Amino acid sequence: MAAQENAIQAELEQMALKIVLVEPGDLATVGELLEHLERLLTSPEIGSRSRLRSMGAVLWQVLDQIILATLDDSAENYAHLGEAIGVMQEAARQEDDADDRQVAAFCEVLRKTGFAVPDAEVAAGTVPLPKNVGADEATDAQEEESAAAGEGEAASSASEPSSAAPPEGETDATQAPGAAAASPASDNAEEEEEPIVQDPQEFMQDMDLLSGFVEEAMEHLETIEVNVLELENSPGDPEIINNIFRPFHTIKGVSGFLNLKAINKLAHATENLLDDVRNGVRAMDSDVIDVVLSVGDYLKAMIDNLREVIAQGPEAYKNFDIREYTRRIKAIREGKPSESSPAAPAPAPAPADTAASAPPAAPAAAAAPAPSAAPAPGKPAAPAPPASARASVSGKKVDASIKVNIEKLDALVNAVGELVIMQSLVQENPHIQAIVDPKLTRDFSQLARITSELQKTAMSMRMVPIRQTFQKMIRLVRDLSKKSGKIVNLVMEGEDTEIDRNMVDSIYDPLVHMIRNSVDHGVQPPEERQKLGKPPAGTVALRAYQKGGNMVIEIEDDGNGLNTEKIRQKAIERGLIQPDDNLSEHELNNLIFLPGFSTADKITDVSGRGVGMDVVKKAVEKLRGKVEVYSEPGKGSLFVIKLPLTLAIIDGIVVRVGSERYIIQTIAIKESLKPTREQYQTVCERGEAILLRDHLVPIIRLYQTFDIEPSYTDPCEAILVVVEHEGQQRALMVDELLGKQEVVIKSLGGLLTEIPGVAGGTILGDGRVGLILDLAGLFAAGGSRAGSGAGDQVEAESEMF
Amino acid sequence: MSTATAARSDASTGMKGLGGKYLTFTLGDEDYGVGILKVREIIGMMEITAVPHTPPYVKGVINLRGRVIPVIELRIKFGLEPREYDERTCIIVVEVQGASETVQVGMIVDSVSEVLAIPDEDIEPPPAFGASGLDSANILGMGKVKGRVKILLDVDRVVSREELQQFASM
Repeated sequence: MAAQENAIQAELEQMALKIVLVEPGDLATVGELLEHLERLLTSPEIGSRSRLRSMGAVLWQVLDQIILATLDDSAENYAHLGEAIGVMQEAARQEDDADDRQVAAFCEVLRKTGFAVPDAEVAAGTVPLPKNVGADEATDAQEEESAAAGEGEAASSASEPSSAAPPEGETDATQAPGAAAASPASDNAEEEEEPIVQDPQEFMQDMDLLSGFVEEAMEHLETIEVNVLELENSPGDPEIINNIFRPFHTIKGVSGFLNLKAINKLAHATENLLDDVRNGVRAMDSDVIDVVLSVGDYLKAMIDNLREVIAQGPEAYKNFDIREYTRRIKAIREGKPSESSPAAPAPAPAPADTAASAPPAAPAAAAAPAPSAAPAPGKPAAPAPPASARASVSGKKVDASIKVNIEKLDALVNAVGELVIMQSLVQENPHIQAIVDPKLTRDFSQLARITSELQKTAMSMRMVPIRQTFQKMIRLVRDLSKKSGKIVNLVMEGEDTEIDRNMVDSIYDPLVHMIRNSVDHGVQPPEERQKLGKPPAGTVALRAYQKGGNMVIEIEDDGNGLNTEKIRQKAIERGLIQPDDNLSEHELNNLIFLPGFSTADKITDVSGRGVGMDVVKKAVEKLRGKVEVYSEPGKGSLFVIKLPLTLAIIDGIVVRVGSERYIIQTIAIKESLKPTREQYQTVCERGEAILLRDHLVPIIRLYQTFDIEPSYTDPCEAILVVVEHEGQQRALMVDELLGKQEVVIKSLGGLLTEIPGVAGGTILGDGRVGLILDLAGLFAAGGSRAGSGAGDQVEAESEMF
Repeated sequence: MSTATAARSDASTGMKGLGGKYLTFTLGDEDYGVGILKVREIIGMMEITAVPHTPPYVKGVINLRGRVIPVIELRIKFGLEPREYDERTCIIVVEVQGASETVQVGMIVDSVSEVLAIPDEDIEPPPAFGASGLDSANILGMGKVKGRVKILLDVDRVVSREELQQFASM
């Protein structure tokens, strides 16, 4: 017990330290104070000290009001708070609960801040805990009756304006008493139909704070969206509801402080709605989820606008009309409470104790007119058992992390890549290899181990889980299925698979496209599915895993599958294949990745016309990846994207042309061969090609393109490397294949950019620079160099394979 | 005379302010100088990887401690006869202004001489050679040191990005 007593003291000590440091305007520190206070209020041993706990609760309200700007964010007030914390420290040090003198001193000093301190309740130790504090500790259960008893007076003594509200089921009745007093504006806000029109000058005083808010708010909104969607999978999980509530609370608080009225009001209204949910007054049904999502979108738009204001000045400010949203929220709150009887806490088992510990909720629900005809569809159907909720909380241990400038990180990864190469250079130096010294050998192997460890770590620093990208798809599927009237479950696997941070943004668009495709064209409407003997709800699976140095992303649906025959017809129609071309089913299916191919029968606004899978393929190839589709008619289709784990390193084949060496990325290589005379074809004696399994593949003589002296000028003596890029194949003529190597891609220095045919350089094993071939550039140059007439013809033919 | 004045006003700072320390080097019989603040380092000749589709004076790229930087051959750039590299051939790595950041470029020279302090008053504007076709845009001025003339180069112009870019897009 003694150790736990120290926990209270430790928190108070931290708070005392922070309160000294806090300066007006420093809301972050105030937030930290609240965190300490929360820990203090939820610590088990506080239960036996109801007066101390009440002091903490009052302190909470004061801090809350400072954040909401109802109380002055001034140095004096912080000084008063400091004294109050001092009194609490004193009380915490003694064996018993705070004595009368301490209570009096505490109340007196806090009253100086302008806050209406409920002395009597502090003395009685019955100040209710603030609603945000995780109050489902066992000890609180004992306290909750007395707290509930005290609540009525607390509300009336602390908040005159809101006392009029409850009859209408008004927003603030559910607030902690202090907070209710804090926002009298929002009480009549819902009565007033005037849109909020604000002069941007009112909040543009401190641009630093404002841009800080914009950044943070965006992050919060992301969190909200992710959590709301998660909630659809585990409805009623109190932890998730809290995760949605908290960011709204923060946005409300800070926007209020910054005088961003519209944002503040909208966030506040939403917070109130969520508070009802937290307190079990109503269920988190699809109405609530919809409105929270749309509010989130609207807030994003508002905050985006703020970003413009910051960049372009006050003229960019738009007044957003939030009335529609506040009205909608109001309608939901009034119209469909999940429980019409006053016994609000009873029906929802999981959040029951939360509801009980925030007593003001009960009267509010009771007072609401509540047409009980609305039975709230998704009412806590499956409330997560409190035990598991607890477990997930403690399981989510957040790793400590720091933000690092991405350039620094890239520089580190680069340098480490070089280190690895240098180390092997030194080790392979013939002079060094001639040394026969066991210690040197040992040291070298140790060095090799350290460098490779270092490389692994450096690489992993750039890797992030693909989770966030996947989570954005939840929303997408939800919206799409609503729009198309299909029922689609999204199943995700391997969200923790890591991907190079630089690739995350680039992979997003192709994924969106493919998911759209699966929902729009893959999964059938429910009736049709039932006719086919499938469950009415379709499933789209999104998987990520690592396989052999690649990151694999799969999108699978259990819908129609591709109509191979239709693809064939269309391909013939478009002149992509000849009617007598003998293509396997798999080859036919993969024709959908060719430019301008779309099999959608009806045009929906979901996947519009002409945006085919070629876009996906292009994007994936840009990331040096591959995409393929596998399909079984009637059973569904599976799209597989293979990506390199990182963009910084590629797997390449080193080839030699004359005295120069070039690197071709392995993923583009189809095969390499020494052609026979019969395979070699010329077209009008200018274009040349080889015949490869009935397809003509144009030859690019690299030595010509790059103007160097080769070892062989006869294609039948040289080696042809067949590469594919954007659906086209070319045979690159080289002298020799030197081997496979992982190479770190580098730019050729700022002056040499956009060299046709060269994607970049790399340091080869011997320390020299090797050039990495850029297939797109080579193909383009190869076409123009082959002479106009013949070139075009070859070009056209090459697309026919 | 009028050309001389034009050149004088062309140089952004005028001949005044050009004084300072210069790293001098030779190309054939001529002495050249580059502002010491532009020079990052001097390295011996090393193997150069040719880069296609670049002007002839761009010899290629080298590995400078893990960075890939382009190297130009000043002899070719200035229209002098190319010659064999020997043990005195050096690469002077200079820093020039690129599109968005400074970039490093190597310049191959016959040999590096010394660092000289040349005061303002010893620097003359580049002469106008008129019909000889020599472009004096690359030249900051002519430094006179102990009876010898050092041709002071404007490296930002010598390795202008625009020129390289034009070539690449051709």
